Amino acid sequence: MPPAITAEQLSKTFRVKVRDPGLRGALEALLRPRYRDVHAVREVTFRIDPGEIVAFLGPNGAGKTTTLKMLAGLLYPTSGRVEVAGFVPWGGGPEFKRRIALVLGNRQQLVWDLPPEETFLLNRAIYEIAPAAYRERLAEFVTLLELGDVLDKPVRQLSLGERMKCELAAALLHHPPILFLDEPTLGLDVTAQEAIRRFLTEYRDRHGATVLLTSHYMQDVTALARRVLIINRGRLLYDGALDALVARIARTKRLELVLGGGDGVTAEALAAFGEVKSFRFPNAVLEVPREEAAATSARLLAALPVADLSIEDPPIEDVIRQAFTRGVEEDDS
Amino acid sequence: MNRVADWARRYGALIRNAWLVDLQYRASIVLWIIWGVTEPAIALGIWWSIAGEGQVGGYARADFARYFFALMLVNQLTIAWDSWYLDRWIREGDLNYRLARPLHPAHEAVAENIAYKARSGGMILVVWLVAALVWPAVRLPLAPGRWTLTALAVLLAAAMRFFISFATGLLAFWTTRATAIMGLHGGVALFLSGRIAPLTLLPPAVAGVAAVLWFPYMLAFPVNLLTGAVHGTTAVLHGFAGQLVWLGLWVGAYRLAWTRGLRRYGAVGG
Repeated sequence: MPPAITAEQLSKTFRVKVRDPGLRGALEALLRPRYRDVHAVREVTFRIDPGEIVAFLGPNGAGKTTTLKMLAGLLYPTSGRVEVAGFVPWGGGPEFKRRIALVLGNRQQLVWDLPPEETFLLNRAIYEIAPAAYRERLAEFVTLLELGDVLDKPVRQLSLGERMKCELAAALLHHPPILFLDEPTLGLDVTAQEAIRRFLTEYRDRHGATVLLTSHYMQDVTALARRVLIINRGRLLYDGALDALVARIARTKRLELVLGGGDGVTAEALAAFGEVKSFRFPNAVLEVPREEAAATSARLLAALPVADLSIEDPPIEDVIRQAFTRGVEEDDS
Repeated sequence: MNRVADWARRYGALIRNAWLVDLQYRASIVLWIIWGVTEPAIALGIWWSIAGEGQVGGYARADFARYFFALMLVNQLTIAWDSWYLDRWIREGDLNYRLARPLHPAHEAVAENIAYKARSGGMILVVWLVAALVWPAVRLPLAPGRWTLTALAVLLAAAMRFFISFATGLLAFWTTRATAIMGLHGGVALFLSGRIAPLTLLPPAVAGVAAVLWFPYMLAFPVNLLTGAVHGTTAVLHGFAGQLVWLGLWVGAYRLAWTRGLRRYGAVGG
């Protein structure tokens, strides 16, 4: 099966005007404008197969949204090749656009003053969805996203979570096989985030859709995607399984202990086994080199009154932060 | 046939949404209508008092009254606000989802125009009909030929003003001053399109400038066609030819700005 999304050596350079502060700077910019090239995306290459959910991670300004917009055909690449659903996005026209959905967490297509159902009806006409199919899909989304109570309320009266759910429904009514989601859970509370994650997984399972999403919430990533793309300063740093990333980046393991036998154990005694991350009797967390985790655990069990012990990877946020700052090297030394 | 039905449904849905949004803003609509009536009413008041019992440039009081009532209607049926919408769509990133839909954003703009014009034009027509009941000066003969030609000229003028506004709004791809440029255009058009006075009353030099630009075809030509000030095959054909030429040029400007602008599009929020 051909890949759903292919990007080869994809680059985007913006030319921005630079000016010094103050009146003089403004005058100079007017008389002798100076420009600087900003390389938003540099030679990014990846392929995504049909049905995959892939998370696109990177700090603000890393090039995630720019890449997403090039894949959706909104931005013209400076160089490189893109193919999405068999189309070159920029020239794909209406046939291409029927195959994708683009949801931008900070921009909405719902008509602010009207109930969401009016936007749904508009999209029914724009995407030429047959009435029977429309009713069936709307019913499906109303059930999955629990939209029953909000369909007839003006969008401006809805909560942020309700609005995002409706936004997703509006964007997916035409059943696109490819979804580009930019921060779909931005600013939502935990319940709404979970509802959206459940919905996206369900939609993918039912319709075999390919999903590429950006998010700053690690729960989104761990719950939805097995594969992540990490981008920073326009360059792709990592493309692979989330588990493998953790194994490669995280040079340590966390030993989470519950101590027994009174309060005789001190922080100093624990420090002999590894770096004490936290200690409040009876709970303690130690960080030890990855390869020594098993041996250290055995020594701990023998030397101290340990009631419970578990070996964990460091929090995924820490791993990603390390990947952004240090890069992702093969070498573990 | 199926394609036609699909497009009818799309336009139907877009116009319906535009009207539903309008209903949320009833007060602002009333204000716009008052403005639409007030401006020509003030101009009429001034010329009314200047004309006195005599004539100015061949216009007596009754002629001015017919001119400005016709202007009031034609202006509402041809006015276009698109540059303001486009400026916002481009600067604030609302163009993004519109570009991701299988529908050119211009169709949404055209539908908005139809919705606005049907509503405001209809209201102004009612105002005119009520005025005509009590004021014989503003009555126009029911000549089907003239009304048909006027309808065609209004359609062309509306199309031209739409493309002017749309193309100017697209300048937002390059500058943050697109609406200021449109405002400047509106200021010039106030004089050169016949909004402040019939063009024959302008100083010859100004009228000469207007004659070689698109402004008279935006308003003055359809208005004069409706009042009967333009008559005779040559004058009528000349007017329609001018409309078609300028419409063609502005469509060209729009196409150029659209293709170049999209390539340049920085897509805010990247």
